[in-house]
Amino acid sequence: MNRTLNVVRMQLVNRATYIWVPLMVLGGTIVITLAIFGLIASNGNVEVDMFGGGAQAPLWYFAVVGVQALTLTFPFSQAMSVTRREFYLGTLITAALTALGLALLFVIGGFIEEVTDGWGLGGYMFRLTWVWSQGAVVAGLFFFSLAMLFFVVGFCGATVYKRWGNLVLTISLIGLALLFVAGLWLIGQLQAWPEVMAWFGSLTPISLTGAMLAVAAVLAGGSYLMLRRSIA
Amino acid sequence: MTAVIEVKNLTKRYREKTAVDDISFTIERDSIYGLLGRNGAGKTTVMSILTAQNFPTSGDVRVFGEAPYENAGVLRRMCFVRESQKYPDDATPLHAFRIARLFYPNWDQPLAERLIAEFQLPVKQRIKKLSRGQLSAVGVIIGIAARAEITFFDEPYLGLDAVARQIFYDRLLEDYAEHPRTIILSSHLIDEVSNLLEKVIVIDGGRIVMDEDTESVRDRAATILGDSAAVEAFVAGREVIHRESLGRVTSVTVLGALTAADRAALAASGLDVAPVSLQQLIVRQTQHAAPADEGALR
Repeated sequence: MNRTLNVVRMQLVNRATYIWVPLMVLGGTIVITLAIFGLIASNGNVEVDMFGGGAQAPLWYFAVVGVQALTLTFPFSQAMSVTRREFYLGTLITAALTALGLALLFVIGGFIEEVTDGWGLGGYMFRLTWVWSQGAVVAGLFFFSLAMLFFVVGFCGATVYKRWGNLVLTISLIGLALLFVAGLWLIGQLQAWPEVMAWFGSLTPISLTGAMLAVAAVLAGGSYLMLRRSIA
Repeated sequence: MTAVIEVKNLTKRYREKTAVDDISFTIERDSIYGLLGRNGAGKTTVMSILTAQNFPTSGDVRVFGEAPYENAGVLRRMCFVRESQKYPDDATPLHAFRIARLFYPNWDQPLAERLIAEFQLPVKQRIKKLSRGQLSAVGVIIGIAARAEITFFDEPYLGLDAVARQIFYDRLLEDYAEHPRTIILSSHLIDEVSNLLEKVIVIDGGRIVMDEDTESVRDRAATILGDSAAVEAFVAGREVIHRESLGRVTSVTVLGALTAADRAALAASGLDVAPVSLQQLIVRQTQHAAPADEGALR
């Protein structure tokens, strides 16, 4: 366990990767979004609240973090005589810690927006109505699982690349895209769009959170099986 | 002597070539081995498999009596920094050493600091900006200061200048004398490291062509030095692997151990015996050992 925690410290050597860049992306997003809110608000009386989706940017960045965690730190972990299992667990713990921190920041941001009525401008980027519909805890969990999902997607993709190379990675991405299109086609053929839409509409933040965590767990499990046979 | 590494019938095949071809050997505790051979002979592959960084196609590898794969108890007693080692993106040498200190229980910080000073390593510069020699120095410092029970050095001198290489050899020997352990040094610069080595394993084309004490390898041949006519008379009928002449003095390296009678004859004719270059001997041996391949080429 001690060595697994040391892997966390090894990953966190990349302060830029795990801390500063996400914070910069978040800070930049806030500034830009606020500027846009301000611009719109200064153009006259805005009757309705404004919602911005820019805050998801640092969450997307987690996919990049997932890739770097594997490609840059795995080879060094091998030189430190770390087992693949220790590396894997330590890396996921690092991701979870960072995702937790980010989720916390998002919830704090949400509270700020609640107290200040959207920065005094009626503009919201963290306190998105649907996400917060089941309370702050569920909203935090939602942000956490979204960040974890992005991380695992990046990590899993990088593992496929390490294990089998670029060709297989490209083929699997194209395969996934084809599956997606086939799914759309199937729904159309079955004339099931209304049902599908209704299902999406009925999703609650907690059920989507559960679904995201389930997908992340499957991908994480797959990554481990691949990593066990990967060469740095 | 106890074996710390036992390898039986190890084979590693890639799609298009066999990198390691059915080799078996043992490594004994507390000695310095040279894993010698040409580039692409399979040295790095063997070391990667021993440290479970790579996987064998077939065969059995035991380290401290156990399989090393995913075996933290075994792996933590070994250190293998690759010649082409990658480091975390933003890492500086200082970061790398701090992490190594976390993972290697015998890490000697004062020794690491001394080596940093001697190699004049800029420890706060990012590793990806370092020169080839400085990059090698990072690996060398980790390897020596980690003081792992089995330490692998993979062509550790790449890019290091003569002074830095000498520092490496001197510090390694000094620390080995105080803290005996098993050291496996891979190299294609044979003569430069030959004085360090107690045992040599020569690998060529994925096969082991020599696995012996350095002393007995040296005894396999002798260099005879002296008056040309006397030298030629002595070496007549022997297998000559090297010949050099300067004026009336000739130096000839012959295969085969010298008998007491030989030595007496040498003394009588005023000839000297000089130590043999390990490199010449090994080059000769690897050429001898590969007749099958040569046949295939023709």
